[in-house]
Amino acid sequence: MVASGLRIFNAYPAFARKGEMFCCYPFEHKPIPRWLTFGGWLGGARNWHFAMMWVLVVNGLIYLAFVYLHGEWRDLVPRKGDIRDSWQMVKFYAFKRKDHPHQGKHNALQKTAYFLLPVAGAVAVMSGIAIWKPVQLSVLTNLLGGYVWARYWHFMAMLVIVVLSVIHVFMVFAVDPYSIPSMITGNYDERNSPEARNARPFYHLFPRRQPPAPPPAAT
Amino acid sequence: MKIDQNEFVTLGGIDRREFLAWGGIVSAAFLAACDSRGPKSAEKLLRYAERKNRVVERALFRHTSMDAVGPGAYDAGNKLPSYFISRTVPVWDESVRGKWALEVSGLVANPLRLTLEDLQRLPRVSNRVNHYCVEGWTAVETWTGCRFSDLAKLARVSPEAHYVDFQSFDDDYHESWDLESAMHRQTVVAYGLDGKMLEPAHGAPARVYSPVKLGYKNTKYLTKIVFMPRMNGGYWSDMGYEWYGGT
Repeated sequence: MVASGLRIFNAYPAFARKGEMFCCYPFEHKPIPRWLTFGGWLGGARNWHFAMMWVLVVNGLIYLAFVYLHGEWRDLVPRKGDIRDSWQMVKFYAFKRKDHPHQGKHNALQKTAYFLLPVAGAVAVMSGIAIWKPVQLSVLTNLLGGYVWARYWHFMAMLVIVVLSVIHVFMVFAVDPYSIPSMITGNYDERNSPEARNARPFYHLFPRRQPPAPPPAAT
Repeated sequence: MKIDQNEFVTLGGIDRREFLAWGGIVSAAFLAACDSRGPKSAEKLLRYAERKNRVVERALFRHTSMDAVGPGAYDAGNKLPSYFISRTVPVWDESVRGKWALEVSGLVANPLRLTLEDLQRLPRVSNRVNHYCVEGWTAVETWTGCRFSDLAKLARVSPEAHYVDFQSFDDDYHESWDLESAMHRQTVVAYGLDGKMLEPAHGAPARVYSPVKLGYKNTKYLTKIVFMPRMNGGYWSDMGYEWYGGT
């Protein structure tokens, strides 16, 4: 979706309406490098984009339904103190704090990312529909500020999704590779958790040796 | 509790080397796919998706949905790109082809042949609307002409007509539409742009113009409007753009 979208974007790599300027994009008329795009030409990319959009939407709905039915949304919704906790995580990663902040299933930065991701996904889908049908669904398009802005939000939502995904995948390998098998099989050995290892990116990748069990008390 | 030492050097059954190998394969596949059209075998699936999308798009279509220009939008004026497929700007040469006239034919009870003056005598509308290009840009312009629906009424379209083909003298450029979109109130056979007569750069003497279709569906340099029982593709639709191309 991203690569074919970038190919579509390259047909007019700008946001301004003809005869106008656009305030908020510094790279107007600078195309995206071809190697980042998919589809070969505008028509091909559009066909891929309009076919795969259904996969994206169905996948997103299954995800939301699953998170809702399993109650796992509770681990993701923002709560009071999240900003403070996120700041503590930043300090920890920046070596300004010694111990890994205590966390539940996710640390505060993860929670923020995993909450923002579906939000960005929803914005991407909504703004996508808005620029697909700017006349028939003009209510939606106008809600987003009109066609030009809807196209801008579509681009920005994509950027957020890409940035979050790249950081996410990087952090999986750099901080918590033990979670990779559990993404598929479930189960997670808490002894390997970043908190238990006091792990920063590429620091303490291996779990701490547990101190030998004290000898049983003599009776 | 005793911890199995081996657990530390493997990531749950997959060791680091395997992981790097898989990563390499995935990235190589990704790079190979870059800017390609995708696998040939996918084309069938893409065409299927386009047909299904068409059903969704036609279901979304409402005659009451009107394009409206947002507040504060400027007219594109001379920034409106000019586009044609011939090597030079197509100009109707009266000395060679005789007087230009628009033919309305096909599944109609009353076929028409309308000169530019005939078109101008029909009820005139001016719509200040968006132009939605397939490339992603928009342009605000005022199009003046007669409503397509008025022409259809004059020609007395048969109930068997479900599609309409707009043909031109710009080589073999044509695009066929679903009849609903053509009958939309903002679809006009335009001979005026921004208060002036249409210039050859933008489709003179007359072109079809509607904000409910993407730019490439709006045939310029019109010669014929043919009512049809079936769709008849189009220049860009046959190249791979969506046939429906609705907004």
